[in-house]
Amino acid sequence: MMENTVMLLIIVPILFSLLFVALPKSLYKYLAWAFFIIGVALSVNLVLDGTGVVQIGEPNFAMFENIVLVLEVLVILFILAVSAKYKNWPTLGLGIISAALFAYTFTNVPGAEGASFNIDQFSQIMILIVNIVGTAIILFATGYMDEYEEHRHLHRQKTFYFTMSFFLAAMNGLVMADTLGWLFLFWELTTLCSFVLISYNMDEEGINNGFRALALNLVGGIALSIGIILLATKYEISTLSGIGTYAGTDAAAMAAVALPVALLCIGGFAKSAQMPFQSWLLGAMVAPTPVSALLHSSTMVNAGVFLVVKLVPAFAGSSLGTAIAVYGSFTFVMCSALALSQRNAKRVLAYSTIANLGLIIASAGIGTPLAVAAAIMLILFHAISKALLFLCTGEIEHTIGSRDIEDMSGLINKAPLLTTLAALGMVSMLLPPFGVLLTKWVSMEAASSNPVVIVFLILGSALTTVYYAKWLGTILSSSMDKNAVPHKKPETYFPLSFLGLAIVATSIFVFSIYSYFIKPQVEILLKTAPVISGQAGQFTSEIGAFAYAAIFVVLALAVLIYLATKNMFTPRTTSYYMCGENNLEKDRLMFRNGLCSYEKSSVSNIYLQNTFGESKLTTLGYAISIILIVIALAGGVGL
Amino acid sequence: MNTNDILLAVLVLIGAPIIGCIASGIDRKITARLQGRVGPPLLQPYYDVKKLLSKDNMVVNPSQNFYVVVYLVFIVLSLLMLVFKQDFLMIIFVYTVASLALIVGGMSTGSPYARVGSSREIMAILSYEPVLILYALAIYLLTGTFKLTAVLDASSPMLMYTPLIFIAMIVVLNIKLKKSPFDYSTSHHGHQELVKGMTTEYGGPGFATIEIAHFYEYVFLTGLIFLFWASNPIIGVLLGIIAYLLIIVIDNITARVYWQWMLKLSWSVLLIISIVNIAFLYVSGVQLA
Repeated sequence: MMENTVMLLIIVPILFSLLFVALPKSLYKYLAWAFFIIGVALSVNLVLDGTGVVQIGEPNFAMFENIVLVLEVLVILFILAVSAKYKNWPTLGLGIISAALFAYTFTNVPGAEGASFNIDQFSQIMILIVNIVGTAIILFATGYMDEYEEHRHLHRQKTFYFTMSFFLAAMNGLVMADTLGWLFLFWELTTLCSFVLISYNMDEEGINNGFRALALNLVGGIALSIGIILLATKYEISTLSGIGTYAGTDAAAMAAVALPVALLCIGGFAKSAQMPFQSWLLGAMVAPTPVSALLHSSTMVNAGVFLVVKLVPAFAGSSLGTAIAVYGSFTFVMCSALALSQRNAKRVLAYSTIANLGLIIASAGIGTPLAVAAAIMLILFHAISKALLFLCTGEIEHTIGSRDIEDMSGLINKAPLLTTLAALGMVSMLLPPFGVLLTKWVSMEAASSNPVVIVFLILGSALTTVYYAKWLGTILSSSMDKNAVPHKKPETYFPLSFLGLAIVATSIFVFSIYSYFIKPQVEILLKTAPVISGQAGQFTSEIGAFAYAAIFVVLALAVLIYLATKNMFTPRTTSYYMCGENNLEKDRLMFRNGLCSYEKSSVSNIYLQNTFGESKLTTLGYAISIILIVIALAGGVGL
Repeated sequence: MNTNDILLAVLVLIGAPIIGCIASGIDRKITARLQGRVGPPLLQPYYDVKKLLSKDNMVVNPSQNFYVVVYLVFIVLSLLMLVFKQDFLMIIFVYTVASLALIVGGMSTGSPYARVGSSREIMAILSYEPVLILYALAIYLLTGTFKLTAVLDASSPMLMYTPLIFIAMIVVLNIKLKKSPFDYSTSHHGHQELVKGMTTEYGGPGFATIEIAHFYEYVFLTGLIFLFWASNPIIGVLLGIIAYLLIIVIDNITARVYWQWMLKLSWSVLLIISIVNIAFLYVSGVQLA
C-alpha cells in the first residue's frame, strides 16, 4: 500500500507536468482542478497509510539507482550548459565543483545495496503541505498567468506549468527520501526548477536573479554533498535517519559527526535563504506571484528547514545546537528589522519568510522537545499563511496594479473579500489565537533558557508586529474612491478561500494536530516527548499555558456583540473631519489651501528607512551571519 | 470553573470600569489643579460616557465600530487573564490584539488625522513591546514559569530583583496611557478634545466604548505594576497607585516629544537597562521564594 502511494506521489506530479506540456492552454484549468483533487487525495492517503519505511531492494534498486545517476548527470550538464550559455562564470565554477564532487562520490564512495523512503509524521506533514498548498497555488496560477503574460508579452506557460508540477514531484521525493544520495538528487532538482521559474520572464533582471539563486543554492548543494561524502566515507552512514541513530542524543557521538552535520545544515541554510544567502529569495520576487508563493511557502525554502529539523538528534543540546539557535534567531531579528523598512509588499513577505524560517532554525537549534515541536508546527502554519498572503498580494497587484503597500489603502472598498482574506493571513501571522503565534509563543518559552536567543526573539517579535500592523491597517483603511473592480474567478478565489479556511481549521484543531503528528515525531527525533499536557482547547507546558480555545470564543463573542449592538445604534455615515475644509464635490480627502484651490491629503506609514533600511543593515547582517556560521563550523570540529 | 471564579470574574467585569472611571476622574482633577483650575467633578468621565452613549452613531465607515468592540473585549480578556493568573507571555499577546484593534480601527476610518495617530501608535508598539516581553522573561527567570501563580504566591516582592525593569515599566505605562511626553498618537488638533489622533473619527457610542475600554486598561496596566510587589497586596496596590500618580505628574510637567525620540529612548536606555536586569537574573540565578 504505502509503496504505491510513495511512488504515486512522485510519478503523478511528473505525469501532470507532461500533461501540461501535451495539452492545449484551454484545458489547464481542468488539469489544475484535477491535480488539486488528486494531490489532496494522495497526501491524505499517505497519512492514512501510517508511518513506516519503504525499502527498495533488488532487482528494482539497480534500475532506480541508474535513473538517479543519469538524472544527476543531466542536472549537472544542464547547469554547466546554461551557465556557459549566459557566460555566468561564478555559476559555471560552482557547477564544475559540483561535477567534481559528483565524480568523486561516484568513484570513491561505496555504493549502497538498497535505498529507502522513510515516512514519518514529519514527512506526512510536509507531503500534506506540498500537495495541498502546492496544488492550490497551481490552481490559482491558472486564473493568474494569462493576465500576467498579457502584460509582459510572454508565451511560456508550458514551461511554467511543467516546471511547477515537476517541482512538486522533486519536493515530494525530497521529504520522503531517506537515502542521502537520492535526497541529494531531489535537492538539486528543486534548485534547478527554482532557477527555471525565477528566470521565467527571460529578461535581464530575471536571468540574473535566477543565476543568483542557482549559484547560492549550488554553494549549499556543495556543502551538502561534502557532508554526505564525509558521512559515507568516515562513518558509513548513508541515510538521513542513520545520522540520528548514530548520534542518538549521545554527546560523544554527536561531537564526532558534528562537522558533516554542520555542513548539511549550511546546505539547509542556503536553501532556506538564511543570511548571508538571503539575496536569492529576494531576487526571486521578479518571478510571477505563484512562483513566489510556491518557493516561499510550500516547497523550496521548506526543504532547508526540513533537513535542519531532521538533523536535530545530531545536535540537540550540543554547542553546535546553541550556535545554530543563535544564528537562526539572529536571522529572525535582522530580517524582521529589514521587513520594517520595505514598502514593496512582496519584499515585506520575503523578509518575513526568511525571518520565520530563522525562527524555525532557532527552535531546532535549541533542541528541547518543546522547541522542536514548535519548529515543526511553525513549518506547517507558516506554509499555509504565507501561501495565502503571497497569492493575495498577486491578486491585489492585478486588482490595483501595484504592489506598493501605500497604494493599497482603500482596498477594503475595492475588493472586500480579497482584503478580508489578506487581513486574515496577516492576523494569523502575528496574533493569537492563530497557529503561528501559538508556535512563536512555544518557541519563546522554550528559548527562555538561552539569554541571547530569547532577546533576539523578543526584538524580532516586536518588529514583526509592527510591519504587519502597518500593512494590515493600510489595506483595511477605507477611502471614498472606488476605482478598481475585482475580477472574481473561481480558480482564483477558491484557493484563497480554501487557504483562509485552512488557517482557521488548523488553528482550531492545533491540539489534535499536535498529538497526532508532532508528539510522535518529537519522540522519534529526541526519544522524549515534550511535556505538553492538556486537552483540545488548551496547551499546557511545564512553564506555561495557552488557552487558545478561550481566545477563539472571545473573538466570536466580539463579532456577536458587534452584530447585536449594530442595530441598537443606527450608524449615520458622514465624511472625514478635514479641519473644517471638506471638499464634497470631488475626492473627499482634500484640503483647501490659501489660494482656494484644493490639495489632496496623503498620509503614509512610517518605514524608518534611515535606521532599518537595506543599505544600513544588510552589510552588518552579512558580517554577523558569516561569523555565526564560522562559529557553528568551528563548534562542529570541536575547536 | 467554580462559583468563586465566576463571582470573581463578575466582580472584575463590574468593578474594573468603576475603578478606572474614578482613576480617570482623579487624573482630570489633579491635572486641573496643577494647571490652577478647579477641574470637573470626580465622576466627569462617567457623565461623558453616559452622554456619548445617548448621541447619534456617526461613522465614516460602517465597520469602524467593529474594531472598537474587539479592542474592548480583548482588554477585558487580558485583564481577566491577569486576575486568573494565566501565562504572562500569553497575556501580553492578547493585549497586543487589543492595541492593534484600536490602531487598525483608527486607520480603517481613512481619515488623515486618524492615520497619522495610528502610525505613531504603531511606533509606540515598537517601543514598549520588547520591554513588556522582557518583563515576562524576568518573571520566568525568577519563578521558573510564565504562569503568574508563582509570582502571586511568593512571599518576597519581585521588585527586589527587578528594579531596572520596574523603571522601564514605568515608562511603558507612560507610553501606554498615552500621556506626555509620549502622547503624540492622540495629539489633537486645535485643542479640541474631540479631535484626538487615532480616535478622530469616533463619536457617540463608538467613542464611549473606547472610553470604557480605557477604564479597563487603566486597571490592567496598574495591575502590571502591582505584580512587582504582589507578595503584600496592600503595598502592591499602593505601588500601582503611586506609579499612576507619578504618570499624571509627568504628564503635566513635560511637553510632547517626537516619536523618534521615544523610539531612541526605548531602544537604547529602556532595552539596555532591562537586558542588564535580565543578565543579572541569568547570572545570579536567584529564585523568588
